[in-house]
Amino acid sequence: MRFWKRLLGLITVLYLGFLITLSLSWVHHLKLSAEWKTVWSSELEVKTKVKPERQNAALKNRLKRLPPRDVYLVIDSAENIFYLKKDDQVIRKGIVSTGSGTVLVEPGGKRTWVFDTPKGEFFVKSKIQNPYWVKPDWAFIEEGESIPKKLEDRVEGGALGDYALGFGRGYFIHGTLYTRLLGRSVTHGCIRMADQDLEAVFKASKIGTRIYIY
Amino acid sequence: MKTRGLRSEKKRVRAFWLIAVLSCSVVFVFLLSELSQASAQIEKGSKSPVLSQMVLAGKVTGSQARTKDKNKQESPPSTDKLKGLPEETIKILKENKFLEEELKLAGKPAYYFVINLKEKKVDLKARGMVLKSWNFSDLRYSGKPVPLKVTSLTHKTALDPPERKIIQPDEEQDKDEKEMNEMKESQPEATGTFEVEALELADMPSSFDLNFDDGLKISIQSKSGLKETFHQTWENILWYTWYPIKHFIIRKSELKPRLVIYFENQREAQAIYWAFIDGIKGIIWFP
Repeated sequence: MRFWKRLLGLITVLYLGFLITLSLSWVHHLKLSAEWKTVWSSELEVKTKVKPERQNAALKNRLKRLPPRDVYLVIDSAENIFYLKKDDQVIRKGIVSTGSGTVLVEPGGKRTWVFDTPKGEFFVKSKIQNPYWVKPDWAFIEEGESIPKKLEDRVEGGALGDYALGFGRGYFIHGTLYTRLLGRSVTHGCIRMADQDLEAVFKASKIGTRIYIY
Repeated sequence: MKTRGLRSEKKRVRAFWLIAVLSCSVVFVFLLSELSQASAQIEKGSKSPVLSQMVLAGKVTGSQARTKDKNKQESPPSTDKLKGLPEETIKILKENKFLEEELKLAGKPAYYFVINLKEKKVDLKARGMVLKSWNFSDLRYSGKPVPLKVTSLTHKTALDPPERKIIQPDEEQDKDEKEMNEMKESQPEATGTFEVEALELADMPSSFDLNFDDGLKISIQSKSGLKETFHQTWENILWYTWYPIKHFIIRKSELKPRLVIYFENQREAQAIYWAFIDGIKGIIWFP
């Protein structure tokens, strides 16, 4: 009986101790949480020479000058949607196909390709009408065909649609024969568009037009 | 009468022991917390009054003292300079600092993120303009807040990270079969009803951690789904019991700040995983 009483006493003490610790911990925790809402920065300094209000206005002006003045293209690779914009206003919106994210391994494991659409800021570097596709090595490897030695054996017409916009490192915005795949991530890194959208984007853009891909 | 007296005596003794043990445990917890705080402040590069007394008493080891010197350059945040300033001025100063930091990011070609803890908003920006914006429904923070400056994502961790599909070209594949497949693909059908060999948004996890170079860990969680509900319940238990105790007892742990961001929609959480590529820079602030 005495043993059980002592055990019960010990448990009570431990329980009360735990409650006290938890209470103290919560006081500390709330104090810490409050700090997130207040100023907490070693970099923050009181400006004495320049008025911070004036400086803020100047900084905001500098930020306002950074976005493109002309039309620009925004590609949402997660949703496979494009937006043709000017001054933050959407001029045209449509579906695209972007990189599949798959990995191609050459038999023998010599080379590998990751079919991702690059992310970041790019510029239109070339504008081509009636483009033809010069198939790279991976296109043959993927099909299980031998890589041709002659350039003419690589050329394929009609596969890229009526227009193509190059944005560097071999990536293009072009048309597609597989229109039912628009809206899905199926390409080898290029961006596929529907014919009418492609025509509108092609006509609206010029060399240097900015492309934002995320 | 004697028995009653004995019983009351016993009760008095028990109460005495109970009070004694409780007092001791309170003192013990306080000392432990103080010691832990002192140790954490050595890590940060400053020392508490308790620690200074310990140094005088020769209780701080050489290695601890060296650690203190080494970490002195990483000066702890100071709010002393701003004490007594009106709230409006502090707000302007804070905005000033934020704009300076954003300008650093907006000048570069990469896109960046801004997490506004007050408005519960994650913005993906480039050149100062918003490319995409997500609103989160709930937010939790623990540990010391992060300084208002550019931070970089080092890596993402998830229980079920997406795996890239590997294409092994089969040279023996029948060409006719392939042509048949191509024919099928070109048939006009409704989109979204078929499987494609691709890594898509739906393959991204909806619960994951973003680890930043300044030690901050952001847990992104969606509120929809059975797995997420279970995870959230477990997180709740930890949040209300273990985390406060951990930060109280082990003061070093509070130097590892943590944010938990909840999204109502699973797809929004997945979109964050998609857009937040390793190395992405951004700012987290509370205006």
